[in-house]
Order: sequence, then structure tokens, then C-alpha cells
Amino acid sequence: MTKKRTGVFVCHCGNNIAATVDVARVAKEMSAEETVVYSQDYVYMCSDPGQNAVIQAIKDNQLDSVVVSCCSPSLHEKTFRDNATRAGISGFTCEIANIREQCAWVHKDRDVGTEKAIKISRSAVRRAGRNQSLEPIAVPVTRRVMVIGGGIAGIQASLDMANAGLEVLLVEKQATLGGHMLQLSETFPTLDCSQCILSPKMVEVSRHPKITVMTYCEVQEVSGSVGNFKAKILKKPTFVDPEKCKICDDCTQVCPVVVPNEYELGLTARRAIYIPYAQAIPASYTLDEDACLGLNPIRCGKCKDVCEAEAINYDMRPETVVEEVGAIVVATGFDLYGQENLGEYGYGKVEDVLDGLQFERLCSASGATSGHVLRPSDHKVPKDVVFIQCAGSRDPAQHCAYCSKICCMYTAKHASLYKHHVPDGRAYVFYIDIRSGGKGYEEFVQRTMEEDGAIYLRGRVSKLYRHNDKIKVLGTDTLTGQNVEIDADMVVLALAMQPSKGTADAAKVLKIGRDKDGFLAEAHPKLKPVESVTAGIFLAGAAQGPKDIPETVAQAGAAAAKVIALLSQATLSHAPTVARVRRSHCTGCEMCVTACPYHAIRLENGKAVVNEVLCEGCGSCTATCLRAAIEVKNATQMQVFEMIEACLA
Amino acid sequence: MIDVQSIRDAARDLLAKGEVRAVIGYQRGSRGMLAEPVTITDPEQADELVWDATCFHNLALYLVEDRKALAHAQRTPNLPIAIVAKGCDARAIVVLMQEHYFKREDVYIIGVSCEGGGVLVEYKLARLLNGAQALSAVIDGAELVVTTLAGEVRLPASEVMADRCLECREPFPKEHNVVFGEDQTSRQLVAPFTALARFEALSEADRWAYWCRQFERCIRCFACRSVCPMCYCDECVVDSITFPVAPETTAEEKANRIRWIERSAVRSENITYHMTRAMHLAGRCIDCGECERVCPVNIPLRLLNNKMEREAREHFGYEPGASIGGPSLVASFRDDDPGQFIR
Repeated sequence: MTKKRTGVFVCHCGNNIAATVDVARVAKEMSAEETVVYSQDYVYMCSDPGQNAVIQAIKDNQLDSVVVSCCSPSLHEKTFRDNATRAGISGFTCEIANIREQCAWVHKDRDVGTEKAIKISRSAVRRAGRNQSLEPIAVPVTRRVMVIGGGIAGIQASLDMANAGLEVLLVEKQATLGGHMLQLSETFPTLDCSQCILSPKMVEVSRHPKITVMTYCEVQEVSGSVGNFKAKILKKPTFVDPEKCKICDDCTQVCPVVVPNEYELGLTARRAIYIPYAQAIPASYTLDEDACLGLNPIRCGKCKDVCEAEAINYDMRPETVVEEVGAIVVATGFDLYGQENLGEYGYGKVEDVLDGLQFERLCSASGATSGHVLRPSDHKVPKDVVFIQCAGSRDPAQHCAYCSKICCMYTAKHASLYKHHVPDGRAYVFYIDIRSGGKGYEEFVQRTMEEDGAIYLRGRVSKLYRHNDKIKVLGTDTLTGQNVEIDADMVVLALAMQPSKGTADAAKVLKIGRDKDGFLAEAHPKLKPVESVTAGIFLAGAAQGPKDIPETVAQAGAAAAKVIALLSQATLSHAPTVARVRRSHCTGCEMCVTACPYHAIRLENGKAVVNEVLCEGCGSCTATCLRAAIEVKNATQMQVFEMIEACLA
Repeated sequence: MIDVQSIRDAARDLLAKGEVRAVIGYQRGSRGMLAEPVTITDPEQADELVWDATCFHNLALYLVEDRKALAHAQRTPNLPIAIVAKGCDARAIVVLMQEHYFKREDVYIIGVSCEGGGVLVEYKLARLLNGAQALSAVIDGAELVVTTLAGEVRLPASEVMADRCLECREPFPKEHNVVFGEDQTSRQLVAPFTALARFEALSEADRWAYWCRQFERCIRCFACRSVCPMCYCDECVVDSITFPVAPETTAEEKANRIRWIERSAVRSENITYHMTRAMHLAGRCIDCGECERVCPVNIPLRLLNNKMEREAREHFGYEPGASIGGPSLVASFRDDDPGQFIR
């Protein structure tokens, strides 16, 4: 084998690297390496002149491999690999030595920094010395998308993608689309009716020829990778044939079982057979298997007897379907932080202490009280209502450390709505501070205070308890320094938003990361806000972090745009740095098969075989194999060994 | 107490009926008291089999040797091979099957429960006998019955038994085709990991000094590796001399062999060897203690493997050799792993 001809390019990154690392010395030391025939340093390697210098040097010196000592490969690896390709050599012969994040930024001493930068660069040179000239693998693309979650985020993303011509599969766990937005009464800051703006979109989704809606379904397993995912979806039985169901409501009239209505957040009850609400999509009833007396004509069977359309079928069974999609959008939304966690506010056991969503239902014209604000315990009009912001938010000691972002606005909305419903009532709002950044938001809060006359008290509520038919609320007004005691008829908690249980499940199934609070982790907080860390899986809505409707819709649109861009390619190029099996060393112990997170390895005649299209080159198999029988191309045992040697030298 | 005759009858029966091609068991050794491994193929030989407190050897090793010999001869036998297996041996067999080294139907397991006993340690016995020559040693309940030239001596079994037997959590071979003896899994002679806990009570500096001393003495005879049924790789990653020469190995790779560990038996290389071995045995070592028994310079190797075993148990609730179909420790993860450091 002829000796490699490697070029080393050391970047100053302005002062980012050059302040702590003697870059000229790094370049000089590298030129002494056996395989290095060219080395230089430059102020900004990633600038246009910098890149051109790389290309020119490759051509002028017949370089066959390149090392760029600069920032993290997550930033500019692609840039420099593209440069290598443009200069006519394989992009995979280019290695990045990270001397910024892993060196310059963590050291203060220039000598120490320089020594380390030399070692890092030298190890990259050794690795590059054994890199193969690989070419990307072309992978066909499935031009279908799966959207998980049928709330506003999922609906918006589905519509945007379907309108661009992609086939969309919209999977929703509940019996109907709509999510939390459908439970809202009005939306801030314009106070337009939530259902009225959402239901047209739901109708559009259900009628769209490119969208298949799968309600009452759960994604159980996802395999494959970008461009070619395989999703196993569980269709839970509704026991009602939506084609036959005439929505006559005869069944609910005879059903003897009464359970709390989830859609109304327990403020009302429903039967075991039910339709969540009038505009439900699909427009059909669902028989709640857990609540039903037993799906058996001997035990009850009343609904089946009364159904003239013969739509009810007790013999429906769960069904699993496998769907192939090229990309996935996760829009699994939020849940409210549980009231039972808030001891200071009565663990959710004090009557007439409601959460924000329950209050929405009280204000909603379609709600249990037909839009009259009545307190649940005695159906009287509450005259003193206390709204408590940051219930569970911004409390790192006990609850969620983060700000739930939307509570300031929706509490202002609640106070405003309440005052519109009960003009002679008093609305008290306890707040830490008001965060109303957004178009028209600050003006809305000001209107609530000044025009609607809501009383804003800066401080926290320390305790509340039931006192006769009132709720005693003890708090502090930190602006006057006075203790405040209010005899309230009703209390509304602006509970923190937390990732929904479905979000946790989806993260598990999709093997995508979550942040410390459990929200789905984006690939980069600034530059890749809608991408998950796994290629081909995108994020939308409150599953990624607390956000309001406009932001959710914007993010859904962004995720859709990313999917459209991805799937508009005829083939995807897959990195060829995949695992390779040394058959003679493989004993077929199957450990790599189990360890592979991408299901890319299988046993064939007692030996491991890698599916190169599925393999992401993560190296889990290499780490697991006791016999060094499997290794990743361009990160071979030999390369790792020499890199270690270079660092220790 | 197990009647050795029942094991002999089972072996004779299997061979006579042609159900197995051989039986791996123990016979009386050439050094009087000690048992030694034997492979019998003739029903007549069944009476040579023995069962006593000197049956230390993990016979699973001979299943590995058998498979290697078959692979070398390119032969696929149509009959299984039978093996006498203690609790620990059976767990080793389970791990090997878990790793698909051989199939369940290829092995007929004659399980023998250690009941309340186990195997003895020669030096512990010698110390108690005060120089007397032992001719046989059998465990009877809580006592070890030793026959010496001067007559029978009864000693408390707990004082002569191996640490690993005292700490054993599963003296009963759960995986078996036939089994002799009572299932006394719940016995608690000494709490598991006692020896390890005693050692870990030392300070970090003392432990480091201790291991430096131990590994300075290692002569790299590889007896620990040779006796271990889990070390079945044809080529060991620590052998820089033979490492990877395969049909697809390039000439360049052959010329530049990776030497993770140098051949010289110096401390740094010895430490790397033993650490590598401990890591490769994590979740696979079933604590048969053979490595420690065969070490000619008495390095307490069991402590290393025990440490890994306890980590696996505490962080991941993992028990090696628990089930053939179960996932292996290093290749799998569960969302409910108790390990706090994994999220």
C-alpha cells in the first residue's frame, strides 16, 4: 500500500482557538508526521477563502486525505467533507480534529492547550492515514409520512405535508382528533372561539384524499431509518363500526355505566359507550372496554340490542398493522402537571379548586354549564375567584424548574372571560411576574387589568383550604409587603405543562432523546429546533417544550417543511461508515444483534450480517463484541489503536 | 446426601440406551483424594464416576473443548453429550447456550445439587488436618467427612468449603434433563459477596497497592483463561501475536498487528490483561471460581469477577446464567434498569 498523502488545516477560529492554542505550532508539528505532506493554519478555515485553500491544496499537492483541526464535527464536518468531494477525493477521507470545544474552550493555559491540540490533531492524522475512500450508499425513499398525535400540531403538520403531495398517516391515541385545543373555550389574545378555528381544520384533515386518519391507535414499534421506517401500529377496538353508526345516541341512553368524562376533565360524566363531543372525527361512538360491563350479551348487551343500525360488534379485536413511512413527525403534546403533586394547594382534593383546562370547559359554550361560569360544588355563580399562576412551574425545589410559558397569558384570558361572564365578580390573580412577550400579548394583559378590572397581586399563595362554603386563600402581596387573605368561591390553578405520557411512550418507541424535564430533545437548540436527534424524525408542538397555539402551528409547519424537503429527494444518501463483520471471528453469540439500536444486524448461518442501509455506524456492536469480530469502517480497531497511541506518545 | 450410585446408573442408562454419545463426569484422580474430569463412552465405565467435595472442576469447559474438537474435525454428531453439572456448571452451560455456542438439544444435563454443601479448598483442609493425608472427602450435611490413614475425621463443612460455595446463591442446577438432590436455593451459609465486601472495606490506596502487588506476581501463564468455559474464543483479543489474521485480513493489517497488550509479564500489561478479562466476563461469569483455584501464584481473581457480578446485579438486576432465552447484560438495556446513572 502506498503511503497516504495527508493535508492538515488548522483553524484559528478568530480568537476562539488561537487565544489558547498556538495554531502555527500545531501546523508545524503536524508537518513532521510521516503521512503529512502539507499543513497550514488560517484565521477562519470555514470561510470561503479558507475552504478554497483546502480545495486548492488538495489539488496542488495530490492529497488523498485531509485533517481539519477546528470546531466540533457536528458543525463543519459536512463543510469540509464536501470540500474534499469538490476537490475530487472521497469526503470520507476527511477527518475533523476538534481543538475548539474539546481543547481551546476548556483550557486557559496556552502551553497545555497547544500540547493537547497537537495530540488531538495527531490522532486525527493517524486515523485519516487508514481511512478508506468510501462512497455514500444510495437509499430509496418511501414518500409517506407518519404523524403521531392528532392535536393542533399534528393536524397542521399533516395538512401542510398532504397539500405538498405527500401521503400522510395521522395516528391518534384518543377516539377523536383535536387534542387539548378542542377543550379550550377562547384563545388569547383575540378571544376567538377555539373550536370554531380548529374544527374546519379537522374537517379538512378527515376529507383530505392524501391523509389517512387512524384514531384510537397506538404506535407500538418503529424500526428502520430515515427514508424507510416500518411502524407497527395497534388499532384498539372501538366495538362500533363507524360506517354503520348513525350517531343516533340511542346506545348512550340505555348504557347503565357512568364514568367521568375525560373530555370535560371529570366535570361531567359519560357512559361506557360514548362520543367524545359533537364534532368528533371520526363521527362515531366508542365503547370503552375498561368501563363496559363485559362486552357480553349475557352480562348487559343493552347498547347492541337498541342499535338499529347494527353498528355495534362485541367481537372486534385489537389489530396490528405495519405501515412503511419515510419520515415521522412526533406531535404528542402535553399534560397538565398533576394537582395531586401540589400539597400547598390541597393535593387536588379541595372542592372548587380547578385547573386551567377545567375552567376552559366551564367557560365554553359547549361545556357542561353551557358557558355559564358556575362552581362545580353547588352550581352557584362564584363571586370571588382566585387565579394562581406558576402552580408547579418555576419551582426547582419542589416541582418543575422551567417556566410553562403560556400560563401568564391564559390566566389573563381566564380573568378576562370570568369578568365578561360575571361582571360584578372579583378576579384575583397571584403572579410572580408577567411574561407577555408576543404580538398583542402585553396589550391583552393590560386590558385585563385596566378594562376588565382583574386584581393582580404580585406574590405567591402559601396555602389554601376549605372554610365553610368558601376557600380560604392565604398569600402575600410582595409589592405592599402585606399578607393577603381571600375568601374565594373558586380557585383556578395555572398548572405547569409537562410532556404527555404519550410523549414518553413515543420517545421510547422511536428511541429519540428527551431533555431533563422529559420534553423531546431537539437536535440543536438553535439551529435544528424541529429535528430530533434521529434523522427522519421531526418534532412539533408542546411535546418539544411548552408553547402556545401560534408557536405550535409555526413549528408544525416547520416540521412539515423539513419532511417535504427530505422526501422530495429521489434517493437519500446514507453514510458508508457502517459496520463490517469479520466472519472468521464471529461466533454468532448474537450480542451485537441485541445491542444494535437500529435492528441492522441479523444472524445468517450462525454469523452476523449487517444491513448497510439500516446501519448508522454508531459502534454499539463493536463495543459489545468480545471477539472484535465487528467494526465500523473508518473507525476500525487499528485506527482506534493508533489514535490512542498518538495521544499517549 | 447424594448417592453416587444414582449418578452412575443414570450415566450407564444413557450410554446403554444410546441416548448420548458420551458422559462428562468426575472420576477418582491419581492423587488419592482428588476427583478429576473424565469423559466416558462405555456403559461399563459408569462405575468409575465419583461425586464428592473435591469435584471442583467446572465441566462446562469440556463441552467447549468437545465443540471445538467437533468443529475442527468438521463433524456434526447426531447424539447429544451428557454432562454432570453442579449449580454453577449448569449456569455456565446456560450462558454458553445464551450465546448460541451450542444448542440446548446438543447437551443432556445430569444435574447434581450441592444441597447444603459445595466443594472444599485444599489448603483449608490441609491446615485443619495438621499434615494428615486425606484419602476421601465427602460432605454430609453441615460436616465434611474426611477419611485419613488414621481413621475418619469430621470437620465443620463451612471451615473447609470454598468461599464461592459459601456465598453461592444457587447450588441447585435449575437447567437440567435429570437432577439429583434437593433444591436448597434458599440456603444462606454466608451472605453473597462477603469476601468482596471485606476487601472493599480497605481504602482506595490500600486496594491499589494490593492489586499492584498481586499483578506484579502474575506470570501470564493464562491458566485462568484456559480453565474458563467463557473464554472460548478461538483467538483472544489480548493475544497481540495472533490477533486478527483472517481470510479478509489485509497484508498491511498483518504487518501492523494491534498490540493492545504487550507480551512481557510486567505489571502494566498484566493489569490490562486481567482488566480486559474481567470486562469480557461481566454478565457472563457465573462464579465457579476456577480461575482463582488454578492460579499458580494465588491471585484472588474471583474478587475481580465478583465485583463485576455485583455491579451488574445492583445496577441492572442482572443474574448471569439465569435463562437461555434471556438477554445478555452488555448487549441489552431496559427502561426500568435500576441504575441511577442511566436515563
